[in-house]
Amino acid sequence: MTIKNLVRKPGRTTVLTLLTAFLALAVFGGSVVVLSLRSGLNSLEARLGADIILVPSEAQSKVSFQNMFLQGTTGAFYMDASALDKALEVEGVEKAAPQTFLASLKADCCSIKIQVIGIDPEKDFTVQPWIARSLTRALGDMDVAVGCKVEAGIGEIIRIYEQRCKVVARLEATGTGLDTAVYCNMNTMNQLLKAAEEKGVSHKMASGDAVISAVYIKAKDGYDIDAVNSQLNSCVRKATAVRTRSMITGVSDSLAGVSRTVTILIIAVWLLAFIILLLAFVLIIRERAREFAVLRLLGASRGMLARTVLLESALCGLLGGVTGVGLSALLLFPFAQLIESALQLPYLMPDVINVVWLGLGTVLLSVIVAALSSVIAAYRLSRVDPGSALREGN
Amino acid sequence: MRKQSIPAIILFLISLTIIIGSQSFLSPCVHEDGTFGPCHWAGQALFGVGCALGVTAVLALCVNRARFGVYLSAMPLCTLGILTPGTLIGLCHMSTMQCRMVMQPAMIILFSVALLCALTGAILSARK
Amino acid sequence: MTIKAEKISKQYFRKTGSANYFYAVSPLSLEIRAGEVTLLMGRSGSGKTTLLNMLAGLLAPTEGRVWIGDTDLYSLDDKALSRLRSEKIGVIPQSRSAIDTLTVMENILLPAKLYGKPLPAESARQWMNELGIAHLQDARPAELSGGELRRMAIARAMIQGSDILLADEPTGDLDDENTSLVLSAFRAAAHAGKAVLLVTHEKDALNYADQVYHMSAGVIQPVDQNKEQS
Repeated sequence: MTIKNLVRKPGRTTVLTLLTAFLALAVFGGSVVVLSLRSGLNSLEARLGADIILVPSEAQSKVSFQNMFLQGTTGAFYMDASALDKALEVEGVEKAAPQTFLASLKADCCSIKIQVIGIDPEKDFTVQPWIARSLTRALGDMDVAVGCKVEAGIGEIIRIYEQRCKVVARLEATGTGLDTAVYCNMNTMNQLLKAAEEKGVSHKMASGDAVISAVYIKAKDGYDIDAVNSQLNSCVRKATAVRTRSMITGVSDSLAGVSRTVTILIIAVWLLAFIILLLAFVLIIRERAREFAVLRLLGASRGMLARTVLLESALCGLLGGVTGVGLSALLLFPFAQLIESALQLPYLMPDVINVVWLGLGTVLLSVIVAALSSVIAAYRLSRVDPGSALREGN
Repeated sequence: MRKQSIPAIILFLISLTIIIGSQSFLSPCVHEDGTFGPCHWAGQALFGVGCALGVTAVLALCVNRARFGVYLSAMPLCTLGILTPGTLIGLCHMSTMQCRMVMQPAMIILFSVALLCALTGAILSARK
Repeated sequence: MTIKAEKISKQYFRKTGSANYFYAVSPLSLEIRAGEVTLLMGRSGSGKTTLLNMLAGLLAPTEGRVWIGDTDLYSLDDKALSRLRSEKIGVIPQSRSAIDTLTVMENILLPAKLYGKPLPAESARQWMNELGIAHLQDARPAELSGGELRRMAIARAMIQGSDILLADEPTGDLDDENTSLVLSAFRAAAHAGKAVLLVTHEKDALNYADQVYHMSAGVIQPVDQNKEQS
């Protein structure tokens, strides 16, 4: 009977279903985006496991450094490898690991520029633990590990400056700019640098000298990181020490902004949908008073009438919730990369189980909201006076 | 309007979106230096499949006797459209590129909806 | 089963005039016996429908009691009262009383369906046949004429209430042929032991009645049948 009522009044059912679908869409979509941003920030923090990053002075002005992390833009800047030793001499420095960056030309394979990052697998403590999750041995010479957004399979050869590099690992997603980069060891990097120079890409250093792009530094426990930072700034020439905290703070500030906007949006949609649903149900009362009077006449009790209204609206809520979640999943997942690029923030999708729970929760919520907004209608309709309601229609 | 022609109209609108989209807002990557990546050819192929689907949709609207068959023939066409970007014809090697970020998901969704439409149309016209 | 009204009245509040309350139905006692057809006649606005609703358990009287057998109708809670109405009382209201989303057949079986009882489809078909609406069983109420809807309501009441039938202008939309058809159906129902109350203007109904009342301004008076007919 409930289902027949819904099927045979398609207009009413569609409106109620669409309203709850809209609600579910906003709630589910919003939560997935906020969750993705949160896990993106966490993974950025994990990958920036250093306290301080020492980069050439020129890198700061180019802003390229932060963008490299957040959006995966390519960039390269160099300083003398001796900066590493100098940094290690500074008091309070526990660990220091070098990285060297190289932006590829458009390799014929990839038809785009990619960022190549050379690491020292033995010293590195930021990227190496992440690589180790996908590759149990150290990176060999001319081996590369690729970020999850580089579409190259294991065993494939990619050419960087005409050098053939073999892909030995695909890395897990981090939601940061690191996902678009290619990782190799220092030997490979030196060879690539040489090849680049032959191609006419100079890295502004006297050739032959070993170069690095950044030094990742971990401060010893008990030392004030700011003090170590300024110490580094004064001791290492032509280099600037940057606290990673400041980068993360910048990101988490924008994240808080986005989260707030999304939350306000969700609440607004909620209120709006709830009010519209409430109105819709109250309007339906007039239309249906007659129908319910007839049911009363035929011996239906008040409880039965109230149950009918609640069940109908809950079914609409269920239908709407499923539609909304489905629609929102259809937009969110295929276009995740587009959302990430538009937000320009670290963005890492929560795993499948969490998404499923979130979807189920949203559907449940839609059912509850739909049922709740029909409570007034259910009460009023169940109390309809059959005598006068039936007379009105005369 | 007859029930069986509604899927044909939707099918036609979808193929129109695919045809126009493959040349504009859903286009493959554009390289600054004017060279083409593999995704360019995927875009061209999608344009072609979109055109063929459009013609099929018009046929489904016009013919009366063989509508069921026309809807059936639209289904492998849609499958071809789903498989073209990425599976049959390669795309750029970076997920952040336009072709992987926009063209591929949008085309797969459009062709999937079209496939559902064709299926609905086939069922509706078979019942008659 | 006999339905007995004991000094029931219905007062309504009205703002205009000197007296704020007025009686729609003045205190009255009435007995509708099983096996008899009781007729209630009178002009519109005389309180007939109000009285019928009170007897049907749909409208609580301001004062007085309504007994069905040994049960005081308005001492029951809503659930029990609803159940009792469903089982004992068939009501045919004056206005249309079809659920538009159901077919004619589903409408007729609805009272049984509400309580999950076995559906009396066979007896429903029989009554539809008798009332000449058998061909409409799968039609929607919107496709029916007023007279057909009326006969649908009658068929529904006939198979619903096993003991008491309360009909408000059951012949209002019917032509002469169908009027006599319906009236003899009520007569037959009374023969089968039901208590039947007909609220009507129809003079023909007098031929089928055992007891006749006239109602005017909320007051009922028994009518001597022989006098009325002459």
